[in-house]
Amino acid sequence: MEYGPPPLFNQGVSARARLAFFSLVAAVLIIIDAQVNALDAIRNGVEILLYPVQRVLLWPRDLALDIGAHFTTVASLSVENERLRRNAVEQAQQVQEAAQLRIENDQLRALAGVRQRLSVPAQVVVALYESRDAFSRKVVIDRGSRDGMRAGGPVLDEAGVVGQVTRVFPLTSEVTLLTDKEQSLPVQIVRNGLRAVAFGGQEAATLELRFLPANADIENGDSVVTSGLDGVYPPGLPVATVLHVERDIKDQFARVVLRPVAGASRSRMLLVLLVEPPPLPPAADAAHAPANVRGDRAAPKAGRR
Amino acid sequence: MKALWQRLAGAANGRPLSAVRNPRPEQVLRPVRPSFIWATLGGAFLLNLLPWGHALWIPDFFALVLVFWNVHQPRKVGMGIAFVFGLLMDVHNGALFGEHALAYTLLSYGAITLHRRIQWFPLGSQAIYVCGLLLLAQLASAAVRLWVGGGSPFWWLGLLSSALGAALWPTLNSALLAPQRRPAKRDDTRPL
Repeated sequence: MEYGPPPLFNQGVSARARLAFFSLVAAVLIIIDAQVNALDAIRNGVEILLYPVQRVLLWPRDLALDIGAHFTTVASLSVENERLRRNAVEQAQQVQEAAQLRIENDQLRALAGVRQRLSVPAQVVVALYESRDAFSRKVVIDRGSRDGMRAGGPVLDEAGVVGQVTRVFPLTSEVTLLTDKEQSLPVQIVRNGLRAVAFGGQEAATLELRFLPANADIENGDSVVTSGLDGVYPPGLPVATVLHVERDIKDQFARVVLRPVAGASRSRMLLVLLVEPPPLPPAADAAHAPANVRGDRAAPKAGRR
Repeated sequence: MKALWQRLAGAANGRPLSAVRNPRPEQVLRPVRPSFIWATLGGAFLLNLLPWGHALWIPDFFALVLVFWNVHQPRKVGMGIAFVFGLLMDVHNGALFGEHALAYTLLSYGAITLHRRIQWFPLGSQAIYVCGLLLLAQLASAAVRLWVGGGSPFWWLGLLSSALGAALWPTLNSALLAPQRRPAKRDDTRPL
């Protein structure tokens, strides 16, 4: 309760007028942000302001994780050490094989006159936090446009594809996970080369293949890799395994649910492939929009359909 | 229900309703310090920024503190503050720019409109009002996402977050009003 004299006349702008004003501004901002990426400059500025605070607030969690790691027993460490050594030996053999195969592949491609496959530069990043949003699955990583990040880059962990960089700030970037409902990528089944498009699934931490006919040749346990048709994801990266297939007679399409292979280890180290954004198909309305504006806008959505 | 009728009957008999509602004498609160308002709003915002992961059921601490100050100090904390903090939240969560701003503005308006009515009730009933306000803000945010074209199988977790937030209301109330309930004169023999 205040002791000052109650303001009888000077009440300022009415609450309804304020509500109307701020709601209108918010609605305009939402519409602009949903339609065009014109607000990125403001967003970048706010993100730079928030960045130090966010980093400081990560300390308590990291400290807790560190303390937890400190009390890991010697037994579990030695088990892990053993496993890593075995992996290293196994992978050494695979690496030698891969090197030999690459040379052989290059020679064959040269013989057949096919364009050489380019190796993609990559950068290791650390996932900072996952955004708390019911409608999307996003992870923020600790590298931004200052470190050469670019929207559209595929993000991997040690098991397979995690997602795609969808928005780049100067110091951080947002990665949209494959399990996001709006995310999609072209895939193919290893066993028979059947191509499909994987979307974020209905249930938590699943993907689904849509628009496959009910009699498509898919079995439980099939592994699914990127097909590389979009020009963003390099072909052959592991994506998921088939969890179950529902074939309903009444339905035209099969319902195929996948479990992503990445993210199982909860590792916070990720790998971002710094791919060049693919050249855009000639647009029908190219005459209306300047080319550079279209290029900027289309880059983040390169992997989305 | 019966108790309510008795109360109303008591009010009709000429006793002031506040005396019927609350038999204890009401304490006159000391004026609030603006620095305290800002500190609590900032602290609640920082709580929201903590890396909670994808835990959707965690209550929105900032929304709760915002409602509190809108109810208790509607002339000091208004929709402008709600809007600006909403924009910050949008950037942190990677949401649409303006989504949280709209939700917080609506929340703030609702709280300011209802502030006299809410203070009239005991804390438990206040919490129900607060739950309704938080749900309204959640629905506004969900409506924006649906309009843009998103969908989510986990939207109901947001309702849980509102309910948890409302459950925190009585605790929050006593914590944030404590500095105003201090006695005017400092008494050295009193423990607090």
